[in-house]
Amino acid sequence: MELVKRYIAAVQRELPEAKRDEIGRELNANIMDQLDMLAEQQGELTDTDIAAVLKQMGHPRTVAQQFVPVQPLINASYMSLYKNTLFMVLGILFVLHVIDVTTHWLSSADMGLIGYGFALFGGFIDDACFGFTSITLAYWLMSRQQPVANSGCGSNWQPEKLPSAGPGWQHIKLQDIFTDLASYIFLLVVIWYPLYMSAEQLAQSALLLSSNVRLILQYSTPLIVLGIVHSLWQLRQRLWSRSMLATHVLLNAAIAVIALYLASTSPLLELNTERWLGVFNLQQLERSAMITLVIIALIPAWEALRDTLRLRKLK
Amino acid sequence: MTTAQLDKMRLELRRGVLVLAVLASLKQPHYGYSLRKQLQDGGIDIDEGTLYPLIRRLADQGLLDSEWQQGEGRERRYYQLSELGAELLSQLTDEWQHLNNSLSNLLGTASQETK
Repeated sequence: MELVKRYIAAVQRELPEAKRDEIGRELNANIMDQLDMLAEQQGELTDTDIAAVLKQMGHPRTVAQQFVPVQPLINASYMSLYKNTLFMVLGILFVLHVIDVTTHWLSSADMGLIGYGFALFGGFIDDACFGFTSITLAYWLMSRQQPVANSGCGSNWQPEKLPSAGPGWQHIKLQDIFTDLASYIFLLVVIWYPLYMSAEQLAQSALLLSSNVRLILQYSTPLIVLGIVHSLWQLRQRLWSRSMLATHVLLNAAIAVIALYLASTSPLLELNTERWLGVFNLQQLERSAMITLVIIALIPAWEALRDTLRLRKLK
Repeated sequence: MTTAQLDKMRLELRRGVLVLAVLASLKQPHYGYSLRKQLQDGGIDIDEGTLYPLIRRLADQGLLDSEWQQGEGRERRYYQLSELGAELLSQLTDEWQHLNNSLSNLLGTASQETK
């Protein structure tokens, strides 16, 4: 009977402490009944016979899970809300992190472009881990309470208020909204950083745009602010409408034109040549900046074209 | 259809029916092993790893009353339908009969169409 004791102990180890004794006692009674019945049919039982009966009962963990089913960390009724919160918070954290790291990069003499990239993504992973853990813990605590049946999907809804059935692209993804938002805020920080930096910090800055470029960008500020407002509008609606698409087309077309205009401007950068000595020469950097701007212009140009086509299809 | 798919669907189909079978069998008191034998004799084969936890869950829901008794030199936990369980069994039986009639008609029609 040593095998039975071991089996019951293994099942009990997988159970919550409060239920171990009761379930162990009952399981023992059931197994003993079964062994008695087998002994009546076969005579004295060997360890092999007992092992076969226990094996038929199932793995201790499986049996324990049948008695006390495993509760998911987050209740299924909260899952959709949980994913939405997660994306929303991670998006906001990303935007805040972009502002923080970009400000630091612009005012730091020690941080190069590679350092900026590492700080941006490495730091965001830290923030994301913190955000993920906090949100998961909050939902875990909510799930431990009595879950609200079909939370957020109660009977208080009207079919007439549902948005019209449109094409798949009409639903705006949260990650798209937050990517746009982060890009606009990044641009704002880059354009206006000389305002809130001391002369000393400016002298140490790794990236200096020429005064001509800065002026063009400063004039573009209303457009960028409009972009931020538009992203917030998307966040509220989450569904492309004709007016939203039209604004998006205009916004992207204007951004593409500005980027192309900047690419044709010279000089683009105002460099501390001593600092870059032996790494790049001025011409190489200017050319790289120009190519980068053309590539950057292609992205909003593509979005403007795509949205124009979508606008024509949307009724 | 693969065997795995068939097994999964059979399991789903049997899950609700087993509750009904267990409740119906517990009009008289039974302990775990005797209940399993009764079900087996009635043509419903259910493995121990499924039956014993199921009885406990039904008891936790107040559908079964239970009592430890000494018998044949060993203690056993006897289960029997509670008042609430009896009420539920009656409603479930009606539901089952309604479903069974409807399904018989549907399956009958389907088998005639396939012939």
